[in-house]
Amino acid sequence: HMFRDRTVTSSVSWCCFPLGVLSDIISTVEFNHSGELLATGDKGGRVVIFQQEQENKIQSHSRGEYNVYSTFQSHEPEFDYLKSLEIEEKINKIRWLPQKNAAQFLLSTNDKTIKLWKISERDKRPEGYNLKEEDGRYRDPTTVTTLRVPVFRPMDLMVEASPRRIFANAHTYHINSISINSDYETYLSADDLRINLWHLEITDRSFNIVDIKPANMEELTEVITAAEFHPNSCNTFVYSSSKGTIRLCDMRASALCDRHSKLFEEPEDPSNRSFFSEIISSISDVKFSHSGRYMMTRDYLSVKIWDLNMENRPVETYQVHEYLRSKLCSLYENDCIFDKFECCWNGSDSVVMTGSYNNFFRMFDRNTKRDITLEASRENNKPRTVLKPRKVCASGKRKKDEISVDSLDFNKKILHTAWHPKENIIAVATTNNLYIFQDKVN
Amino acid sequence: MLGKGGKRKFDEHEDGLEGKIVSASDGPSKVSYTLQRQTIFNISLMKLYNHRPLTEPSLQKTVLINNMLRRIQEELKQEGSLRPAFTPSSQPTEELSDSYQEAPPAFSHLGSPPAHPCDLGSTTPLEACLTPASLLEDDDDTFCTSQAGQPTAPTKLSPPALPPEKDSFSSALDEIEELCPTSTSTEATAAATDSSKGTSIESSIQKPEGPQENRTDDSKLIDSLPGNFEITTSTGFLTDLTLDDILFADIDTSMYDFDPCTSSSGTASKMAPVSADDLLKTLAPYSSQPVTPSQPFKMDLTELDHIMEVLVGS
Repeated sequence: HMFRDRTVTSSVSWCCFPLGVLSDIISTVEFNHSGELLATGDKGGRVVIFQQEQENKIQSHSRGEYNVYSTFQSHEPEFDYLKSLEIEEKINKIRWLPQKNAAQFLLSTNDKTIKLWKISERDKRPEGYNLKEEDGRYRDPTTVTTLRVPVFRPMDLMVEASPRRIFANAHTYHINSISINSDYETYLSADDLRINLWHLEITDRSFNIVDIKPANMEELTEVITAAEFHPNSCNTFVYSSSKGTIRLCDMRASALCDRHSKLFEEPEDPSNRSFFSEIISSISDVKFSHSGRYMMTRDYLSVKIWDLNMENRPVETYQVHEYLRSKLCSLYENDCIFDKFECCWNGSDSVVMTGSYNNFFRMFDRNTKRDITLEASRENNKPRTVLKPRKVCASGKRKKDEISVDSLDFNKKILHTAWHPKENIIAVATTNNLYIFQDKVN
Repeated sequence: MLGKGGKRKFDEHEDGLEGKIVSASDGPSKVSYTLQRQTIFNISLMKLYNHRPLTEPSLQKTVLINNMLRRIQEELKQEGSLRPAFTPSSQPTEELSDSYQEAPPAFSHLGSPPAHPCDLGSTTPLEACLTPASLLEDDDDTFCTSQAGQPTAPTKLSPPALPPEKDSFSSALDEIEELCPTSTSTEATAAATDSSKGTSIESSIQKPEGPQENRTDDSKLIDSLPGNFEITTSTGFLTDLTLDDILFADIDTSMYDFDPCTSSSGTASKMAPVSADDLLKTLAPYSSQPVTPSQPFKMDLTELDHIMEVLVGS
């Protein structure tokens, strides 16, 4: 499939698909491998899946719109009686499995439990049973005088979601990541201190592959923040930490991958040293490029691209909102400094995207080194409206249309974004709304 | 091409409280640095103590806040060990520099002329930027110069005009710390290190209430921190116990009944009501001057108010 690689930041105009308002706070967004389906998880434990309309591609100006395909309750709130604490039903992550047959499979997880869901379509139903009436009541066998073969008749499309596996009781701490291996048989789940390896078929057993819990919890100074399998090497995975390091591990080396194969860490810039240096260095997301050659990390103020062959510094660094550096104390006070922004690659690994505050999101073109800031808001929600680039004015005279740092709304944060694997279609989640933008083909 | 940092165009002379290290060449830099550090310390403690979630608090957040407190604590410890000496070149500043690059230029008066590996970009020697006189100005509120005290022995310094919020806050810290021995006894089974922690808390409980006012607020923080901080981390990570369980379990009115002066012999989370007489009895042996009955009682009420504000999070 030829991917038309245009310079996203300049010649591509983004415009919005109309999409309804989702009622609960969106906590994760993920396209499936073909891009036809888009799954969102929310704070209430629900999963909503959108499906792209299959439009006539030859004629259309734009690609098909995304409509609701399936909605189901993935997780329910639970109560941990031992600790007298609630277990949130919030969906932390969703990951799709590649499609093997007519049904779709995805993994969804909250803080403690991972579930494998099967989403299948039903557009036919059998009619003409011998022993049952159409409404399901059983017929009196003595009234059966002839036999017939039941046949399938078309019915309205029904999309059903059913839980096929429940992977529970393997995590003492909160699960922050799940990642499916390229063997499509195993996957990893990571919490603050441990990473476990599962087989998709086996729910009563998982293998611990990373454990950074110290013998004395009072010595704990670092936690795991994200983990991901390499897209091509089924023995390789990475995990990031709250101290800004990324460790690459090879499962062939030993059963317990406590000793990393590679350690990626950038030495600190002494001129930027502050009380908050450690906190803003904490990595909130790590994503391999589709090629597997690079990985991207998101810390509080920047996005960094790492070459897997070079451990001592990233090859590219993009400042997301450097103007916040002078506001770190306030952001520490109101907890915004702990916000976990995610990041994503486009299909050809030429552009990366991440969110910011005030419902802004940013794209960085790695080839042209240009970047763009866009806003996901109601005004832009009108269909086919082209998004206007936004600019934040850090200080000094504010130009027209610029927005000053002090008038940014820190409650409007875009933490979750996703990019279609093949096309210039992006999904951007504000607190309660999901926006889907596509590039306007002229 | 290496990292593409964006240029910062905004005004970098922004004062004080925000994250960037205050430039070494500023005159009042030490004060604002200390104020900055104190503010961040207060905020961090508030975050740990006032958070009463229904769900487990984020371990990552707890760890990061703990690290912040630890770092500040270490700095205070080192500052505390440096200040009483107050002799030039008594402490090497290099070792400070190595681990804490944000060490304020205040130490220039103590250390040798700067060969700072982490010079904050200023080309003028730090010594030239800050004179001992300006430092004395800053320290006026912590070192006794006017009263009948001996500046060289910190434990005998009589109280100067401490900034009120620091005083009440650090005494509030003491209250919290003194409440903690009850928690250590319950956590002893759960925590890995119990005996050493317990004794350190106990010994700090025995510390006099009176001279506590006479010490510098920084050293107060240092003394109260280690034990306090252990508890902080313990309660942060041992999710089966929160500080609330220890402080407020069973007796709602315990908020109004605990007294910082009573010994730690009580059982966990039970606070006996205290009379003014008890206060006098515990205070009398510790104060070096005769104390009128009304004074310590008023002082304690004020302290209690402040404790309540800290704990209840007003």
